[in-house]
Amino acid sequence: MKTLLAWILWLWIALVIVGALWWAPPLPGFQAGPDSSRIVYFHVPMAWTSFVAFLAAGVFSALYLKRREPRRDAAATAAVQLGLAFGLLALVSGMIWAKIEWGEFWNFDPRQTTIVLALLFYTAYLVLRLAVADHETRRRLAAGYAVFGLVVAPFLFFVAPRVLGASLHPEPVINAERELKMDPAVLWVLLSGSAAFTALFFWMHSLQCRLAAIARRNGLEA
Amino acid sequence: MDPSTLDGGEIARLCILAVNLIIWTGLFLYLLRLSKKVRAVEQAAPEADHEP
Repeated sequence: MKTLLAWILWLWIALVIVGALWWAPPLPGFQAGPDSSRIVYFHVPMAWTSFVAFLAAGVFSALYLKRREPRRDAAATAAVQLGLAFGLLALVSGMIWAKIEWGEFWNFDPRQTTIVLALLFYTAYLVLRLAVADHETRRRLAAGYAVFGLVVAPFLFFVAPRVLGASLHPEPVINAERELKMDPAVLWVLLSGSAAFTALFFWMHSLQCRLAAIARRNGLEA
Repeated sequence: MDPSTLDGGEIARLCILAVNLIIWTGLFLYLLRLSKKVRAVEQAAPEADHEP
């Protein structure tokens, strides 16, 4: 059953890739050639999945603080690790696009800056875990930090980029007037890509939690 | 789709599409293999609490 679900997810992502690179039209208004804009179909879902992962880490941490079960702490750590991986991919794909479209890899664009701050915030979570030797103290401190992240992540991903002023980025999927000004095909690929990447995150997260459980059972807890 | 009607840009896009599909299929095969291995270890000691 799980194998069947995995192949359904593969088919879904394959359709998103075909949609992104062949079926959907390139986004209008880009100087570097229309096809360069197709990176958006991967960049946006990866940034979204990174945000979902950081929220999941906060939720698992809150559950840990409530029930004090080590598996919740391991789930939060796995979510942060995967969130950093997806966030780094979003950052790198964005920088490649920035070089093509804006001429420089780094432009101090509000969204570029805030995603780096979010990645640094969650890297500090992993560093904090390494810095405390006692298991119980480490879990409690890390959980408190990740719960604080429930405020920090939405602020850095959605509030700060709008507050910091003009951005080189195009309008978000839903703009300031809460309207969708997109070709339906573009919107379909973006939303289904985001959903597929989110599903992929939860599959990878479940695998990482199972590996952590095996490590715990064998006394190899990090 | 008639291949003889494709221009250079479309052929390049098809190549990029094929490379993407190969990379993603490779990732899925790796994750499926890892999942099977983890399941085998879990079945050897089924008392583990692995659900998050």
